[in-house]
Amino acid sequence: MLFRPDRRDFSLIGFYTGKVIFGIGVAMCVPAVMALVLGEYNDLTSFLLGASLAILVGRAAELFLSTKEPLSTSHGLATVALSWTVAPLFAGLPLRLSGHYASYLDAYFESMSGFATIGLTLANDLDHMSRSVNLWRHLMQFIGGQGIIVVVLTIFASAGGRIGYLYTGEGREEKILPNVIRTARFIWRVALIYAVIGTSALWLSLMHAGLDPAGALYHGANLFMAAFDTGGFAPQSSSVAFYRSTLVEIVLLPIMTAGGFSFALHYQLWIGRRDELVRNIETRTIAASMLVMFAIMVVGLGRTGTFTDVGVMMRHSFFQLVSAHTTTGLSTVPGRMYVTDWGVLAPAVLVTAMALGGMAGSTAGGIKAMRVGLILKGLIRDVRKVLLPEDAIVVETFHSSTRRLLTDTQVRAAATVLLLWLVLYFGGGLIGLFYGYELQLALFESTAAASSAGLSVGLVRPDLEWPLKVVYVAQMMIGRLEFIAVFALLGYILAIVRGRV
Amino acid sequence: MSSSLRGHKPVERLRVLMGALALLGMLGSVVIIGEVLRHPDTRAGVPDEEPDHFDPRDEIDCPEPPPREGQERSPQGDTTTTVDVSSSDLYDCPQFFDGRRVRYRGEVVGALLHRDTGVWVQLNDDAYAEALGPLPAHRDYRGGNSGVGVLLPTRLTAQIDLVGGPQTRGDVVEIEGMFNRVDPSGEVAVIRAETAELTASGEALLDPLLTHRLVAAVLAILFAGGMVAAERVVARRR
Repeated sequence: MLFRPDRRDFSLIGFYTGKVIFGIGVAMCVPAVMALVLGEYNDLTSFLLGASLAILVGRAAELFLSTKEPLSTSHGLATVALSWTVAPLFAGLPLRLSGHYASYLDAYFESMSGFATIGLTLANDLDHMSRSVNLWRHLMQFIGGQGIIVVVLTIFASAGGRIGYLYTGEGREEKILPNVIRTARFIWRVALIYAVIGTSALWLSLMHAGLDPAGALYHGANLFMAAFDTGGFAPQSSSVAFYRSTLVEIVLLPIMTAGGFSFALHYQLWIGRRDELVRNIETRTIAASMLVMFAIMVVGLGRTGTFTDVGVMMRHSFFQLVSAHTTTGLSTVPGRMYVTDWGVLAPAVLVTAMALGGMAGSTAGGIKAMRVGLILKGLIRDVRKVLLPEDAIVVETFHSSTRRLLTDTQVRAAATVLLLWLVLYFGGGLIGLFYGYELQLALFESTAAASSAGLSVGLVRPDLEWPLKVVYVAQMMIGRLEFIAVFALLGYILAIVRGRV
Repeated sequence: MSSSLRGHKPVERLRVLMGALALLGMLGSVVIIGEVLRHPDTRAGVPDEEPDHFDPRDEIDCPEPPPREGQERSPQGDTTTTVDVSSSDLYDCPQFFDGRRVRYRGEVVGALLHRDTGVWVQLNDDAYAEALGPLPAHRDYRGGNSGVGVLLPTRLTAQIDLVGGPQTRGDVVEIEGMFNRVDPSGEVAVIRAETAELTASGEALLDPLLTHRLVAAVLAILFAGGMVAAERVVARRR
């Protein structure tokens, strides 16, 4: 029997959603300062307006819905889903006011793409966009990549351990440290350390590429946020190809890879357990899939005759593959040329890499290496069972921070989520087909949106049909939150409508 | 649902409906504010050239089909005649134009990247490059950017004064040179320019302050400040 929510349920969800909206408002002050410094006054007023409205709503929720009731799992999940629905609306206000988005839906799409670290864009004339608005696009990736909730946990953490449910609702299954607040702060520490190192390295490499120091710093900071948070936005419309620099690409590769690593793995490395890199089921799975897919890609590009120089082929195919597998979406090749010059095998590999994605508990999207690894381990165990005598006991283990026993429940759960991912990918692809796009294009873009990869063959563009924009927005959010939080919110709506008590 | 059913008093559906409408009203007002305060919807006065609109559903208009695995690529055709091209032509038919002399015109955007081998520039030939002008000068939406990377000999860059960007319309340059699907430098789909001619000078873009937005922002700041103060006072009393 469904129980209709009571006042406490609404208060709790509204209260914590308000905190998230407040956090978004505070974050908008960063590009506002940049707009002030650079004299981008219309954008300054846009950011101040957006920040004020978000702070107004956030504090109103604090004032009228303040509660000391404990959060339950369903509250946490519903709060996360509601926050992710509402936050892009506020974050999209300065985008709409920037004059580069043809409708509020486009601005909402862009904000969702930023927060969910997708990288697909509907910006018109990006190359003339103001620096403060462009910074806001990248900052949204940084905030969303760490997890909007993590931002709130760290800055406004008065609720203590009760808000752990919010953390898990954002697709983060594993607490790295016993206390969720400490976990959140660890994630921030990792991100900030990488930010200093990564931005510095990019700054130097971009100056080497020919940018002036100030421009290199601006581009470097934005590129870092796009790469580490596996986002995929870039300051220029031609993405990384703009810089025409192998060095910049070389610097970006480890940053994207670090973004694809789980924060649990970062923690293991932080405490000096470097062997985790070799033993962890996810690093093994990703290493194996990278190896196989890179080989297939090279064969595909070789057979298509796309590149005649092996070094050049390695450079572009490896960058594109890492970008796809970590679900970043930065590119060194014009997206149209995946269709007109790369044959079909190499783009198919990119779609597969995007679909598989990075590690669970990282900023990356997709099915995740953990699930793929568990399913493969389960398959190996079943094959061994068939080959061994009937009374033999077959035990399979995997390593993730510690050695763990593989259970049927884990394999079943991984397979179920895998199935949901496939439905999400193909569902978006089918709707693309309905609008007359070729299968290859529709599936590529649907996978890019759902997996948070953001590589594009050009289907997502400002004059895309609005229902498809809505579909991609839904895919981005469902993919980023990994289904369950969205199901929880839908469950609340169903309970309101159908609940009897 | 609540962690405990003790004292569970479901909210009446009518009140839930009213609450939902209030929430939608609040969110809707953010959208309305965005629509009311956005830049005036000014047209650039240039007709929309539908054929140039990129649509991935359109048949690729190319003398040769896209290369496929196991098929020989056709040898380069006439490499002596110079052909006028757009960035769409080059990306749609990279094999056909590979190694050909091309004439291409576009706005310099981003930055001039000086190297030992020359200067890399991005030349955009999209709707915002010439007649229409950059979007900040009007609000005539014509989609995303499109352009090609060009390697210019350093001596040819002296004529470029303005590079297009946030507050600047860049110079428009017409170049002639060789298009390389894969350049010897390792870059993809670029033109190695041999000649370059400035065809239009750039200019600073003006974005006059929108006073109605400024007033709205000031009012919003005051309301937000008031709410923060009220919340702090109540929180202390609690």
